[in-house]
Amino acid sequence: MNPSASEWKPSASAASWTPGQSFSIPAPAPAPAPTPPPPKEQETGEDIDETDPLWQAVLKISGGDKAAAQKLINDPDSLTKYPEVVALLGEGGGDGDAMEVDDTEDAQLAEAVETKMQIDKPAPPPAPAPKKPAAKAAPEKAEEVVEVEPVKEGDPREHLNLVFIGHVDAGKSTLSGSILYITENVDKRTIERYEREAKELNRESWFLAFIMDTNEEERAKGKTVEVGKAHFETDVKRYTILDAPGHKNYVPNMIMGASQADIGVLVISARKGEFETGFDRGGQTREHAMLAKTLGVSYLVVVINKMDDPTVQWAKERYDECVQKIRPFLKGCGFVIKREVKFIPISGLKGANVKDEVDPSVCPWWKNCWQSGENNTKVSTLIGLLDSLEISGRDSTAPLRVPILDRYTDRGTIAMGKVESGVIRPGIKVTLMPTRAQFKVDSVWANEDPVAAARPGENILVKLSGASTDDVRKGFVMCTEPACRSVDKIICQIYVAEMPDNTKIMTAGFQAMFHAHVCEEECSIAKIFETTNAKGKVVKGARFASVGMTCICMISLAQTVPVETYGDYPFLGRFTLRTEGKTIAIGKIQKLPPKKS
Amino acid sequence: MGQDEKTQEEMDKQIEIFKVKKLIKNLEAARGNGTSMISLIIPPGDQISRVNKMLSDEYGTASNIKSRVNRLSVLSAITSTQQRLKLYNKCPPNGLVMYCGTVITEDGKERKVNIDFEPFRSINTSLYLCDNKFHTEDLNELLIDDEAFGFIIMDGNGCLYGTVQGSSREILHKFSVDLPKKHGRGGQSALRFARLRLEKRHNYVRKVAELATQLFVPDGQKPNVQGIVLAGSADFKSELMRSDLFDQRLHKIVVKMVDVSYGGENGFNQAIELSADSLANVKLMKEKKLLQKYFDQIAQDTGQYCFMVDDTLRGLEMGAVEDLIIWDNLEIQRYKVRNIQTQEEKVLHLTKEQEGDDKFFRDAETGAELETIDKEPLVEWFAENYKDYGCNLEFITDRSAEGTQFVKGFGGIGGTLRWKVDLAELNSLEEAANMDHGVGGDDSDDDSDDGSEYGFDDGDFGF
Repeated sequence: MNPSASEWKPSASAASWTPGQSFSIPAPAPAPAPTPPPPKEQETGEDIDETDPLWQAVLKISGGDKAAAQKLINDPDSLTKYPEVVALLGEGGGDGDAMEVDDTEDAQLAEAVETKMQIDKPAPPPAPAPKKPAAKAAPEKAEEVVEVEPVKEGDPREHLNLVFIGHVDAGKSTLSGSILYITENVDKRTIERYEREAKELNRESWFLAFIMDTNEEERAKGKTVEVGKAHFETDVKRYTILDAPGHKNYVPNMIMGASQADIGVLVISARKGEFETGFDRGGQTREHAMLAKTLGVSYLVVVINKMDDPTVQWAKERYDECVQKIRPFLKGCGFVIKREVKFIPISGLKGANVKDEVDPSVCPWWKNCWQSGENNTKVSTLIGLLDSLEISGRDSTAPLRVPILDRYTDRGTIAMGKVESGVIRPGIKVTLMPTRAQFKVDSVWANEDPVAAARPGENILVKLSGASTDDVRKGFVMCTEPACRSVDKIICQIYVAEMPDNTKIMTAGFQAMFHAHVCEEECSIAKIFETTNAKGKVVKGARFASVGMTCICMISLAQTVPVETYGDYPFLGRFTLRTEGKTIAIGKIQKLPPKKS
Repeated sequence: MGQDEKTQEEMDKQIEIFKVKKLIKNLEAARGNGTSMISLIIPPGDQISRVNKMLSDEYGTASNIKSRVNRLSVLSAITSTQQRLKLYNKCPPNGLVMYCGTVITEDGKERKVNIDFEPFRSINTSLYLCDNKFHTEDLNELLIDDEAFGFIIMDGNGCLYGTVQGSSREILHKFSVDLPKKHGRGGQSALRFARLRLEKRHNYVRKVAELATQLFVPDGQKPNVQGIVLAGSADFKSELMRSDLFDQRLHKIVVKMVDVSYGGENGFNQAIELSADSLANVKLMKEKKLLQKYFDQIAQDTGQYCFMVDDTLRGLEMGAVEDLIIWDNLEIQRYKVRNIQTQEEKVLHLTKEQEGDDKFFRDAETGAELETIDKEPLVEWFAENYKDYGCNLEFITDRSAEGTQFVKGFGGIGGTLRWKVDLAELNSLEEAANMDHGVGGDDSDDDSDDGSEYGFDDGDFGF
């Protein structure tokens, strides 16, 4: 399908500008940094999954004696005389042997930290991996599962996904380009070429944006259309930049990018007039901030850009004005200002406050400002700030979930996506939802370098053995068992944020676009169960909902989409409804239709 | 006053159209015995006597039919046509349409059908056909508004072709496309990558342009639409516009280019919305406007609105309804029933499912049987009787997004009121009792389509 990609190997092209080559070799990371990489799994044999029902059963049989249990496991024949074990085997044994082994490997890997025991026989056939291992862990379990698990044969530094959002022309692409330039991920020659090209278009200030905007149409108009992606790293962390388009017609693209991000960087132009238009009704600042929150970013860094502009000239008044105006709105979006929002003034074009602090002669007040921790921002530069942020809630022990952002062919089909939970490594078998097709993972790249395992949070490329381009599509979810659900109806709770001008109320039959993680699908409201208005008045069996209401309703989708309930997997359970270029509602999935037996 | 009359006229015309639509539906469903169903259309200005003569000739020919049953029914159909024709001494200004024949009803009985009427718009065809069905194609043509607009919704994921004509919105064709995205940047093959990308895009534009010609200039002569609206999210639409591959005949009639954020149906709906000013005369837009006004009333919570059958009828009885909006395919039937014991007469409004339920045809207290005296679709009844309630009648379809909402959300019937009536309070008690309270969907095995399967237990949602 895509011959263009054949010449374009991520690993090969990465060599020419591998990020961080010019850096001193990164010291093992500080704060959240993991323990030194444990020995390779393949060499040392395999570990036991403490939560494996079989293991628990065997343990019970042997009266809690781990050594005895291990012996028993090593001798599968002897096991079959215990009825409990046979029952378990029957339960988990329907799926074919090869896959089971792979599955266990994965599950075991997940538990690698806590268990020291090793066996040299192939693992016992597993029952489905537990959904919440921490919750139903075996009684013997000594220590809690550590959130940040060391990646074997991978970079130990934490990986963060940044999404740059904000109104059109706020300087998102330029800032992204600026970061890449400053972190020396773009060589001088390329920059010079871009400068020349920008000059030809009479748009000299666009040259940094050209690093991110590679398409002709994007360059011609200076508007990003598709989400751009790039990597850079610092001494403590590795980053993926997702440069989202700001134009309102491309919000669907932006959603796709933002759904992959851990941290949102809301770029706001301080230039006179631009700030105001971006923030007005219909400006994308509002919509993007709201979307970012609902798409699950943990932190929002508000970057007041273009501080060097002649109409601003690093004036503290302007900076304060912008901050003051944005703050109440972000609060309204559900951000906890004190904890989740940081503010920083910046010049993307000049690179001030990106990696190095702005020259005090230009901006004398900033030093004071960050040192006193004004606006809860205690770091002076953007990169420093990003390095200081910590992401929690990554569950590497849960079953694997990778929403697929896109795919292309390069001697096989390669899928792109972010690991939301679980660990992916070459050799395991994955199930693609909603098709339920199973493929073996041939290789995994993170930041375009081949790795042996990728933790949650990594932005990865996965080569799937034997898959054609039609088997892998945007919006699919790569899972290990138990795979996620794929449904065409959901019961959910939604908050109606805005309605299109022509239809002021939402009723059954209302049509919109449904966005959950990376997939988008046409949907319509099938039934409204109840509404709660702003004053908390609940109407059961309501016929309609209007702006400001929360309502519980059933949504039917044009095609099945892979989702989960918000309670089980937040990243697969939140969604937004959009129509006519507006974000109509945000919601959480409460209930999926019962499974077909 | 003059304006009032005009709107009145317009409304009458609308109702006339609705009636013709219903008639066509009935006629199309009718099947006869042998080739004994006569469709006769006389254009304006034609002479009745000429037609009469033709019918007599036809009668002569038909008497030679060998099959007795067929002969008799054809002859009787011709006779009744002739008799009907006698009622006119000259052809009406808009022409004359006549259908005569013996129809076999659902329960296998034969029924004579004799219909003659003057169409609401002049009909320019001459037709005489004796077939086993009625021919309504020409009538259908009358209903179609001549202004049709083509839509091409084109974005990076695919393309959709649709038309908007009268009150119908139709999707002609859609296909999806797989264009390379910008996966990465830099690298040695960047140039090659960009070139391949361009080539793919070019091919896509070519395909869209070729299909556009196929769909909108089917006879290779003249476009079958009055205007074309190009919509899309990225630059594709302007690329298509610039392209030489785009048919010149279509190029000339592009009336508007609009930016939409999605492709597919959603984009189509948005494109229609955005090109409202270009399509001002299309009936679909009028419908949308009407419903938008109605929805606004609801959103502002003015209390001057009603929906669902019961509320609307209550409003009508109070004389409060100003504009009655009704879906032209509303399936509710109006039953007039009589209690056999007390001879009391009652009116029921039942949906299709309710019709099958015996409970509605028994008296709630005594269990006495209720005898059906009369049965007719509620829509038709309204078309006849709306004037008695002093309201305006508007028909809508479910083709527009608003229409679907109206039909699905409000039961396809509703209206704006002249003054505020708190219908909710009047009904709240009944409604609460009737509300759907299905519980416990988790364990049920099948996932049927009707939604009532889903458990909805309030406790689950932590309100």
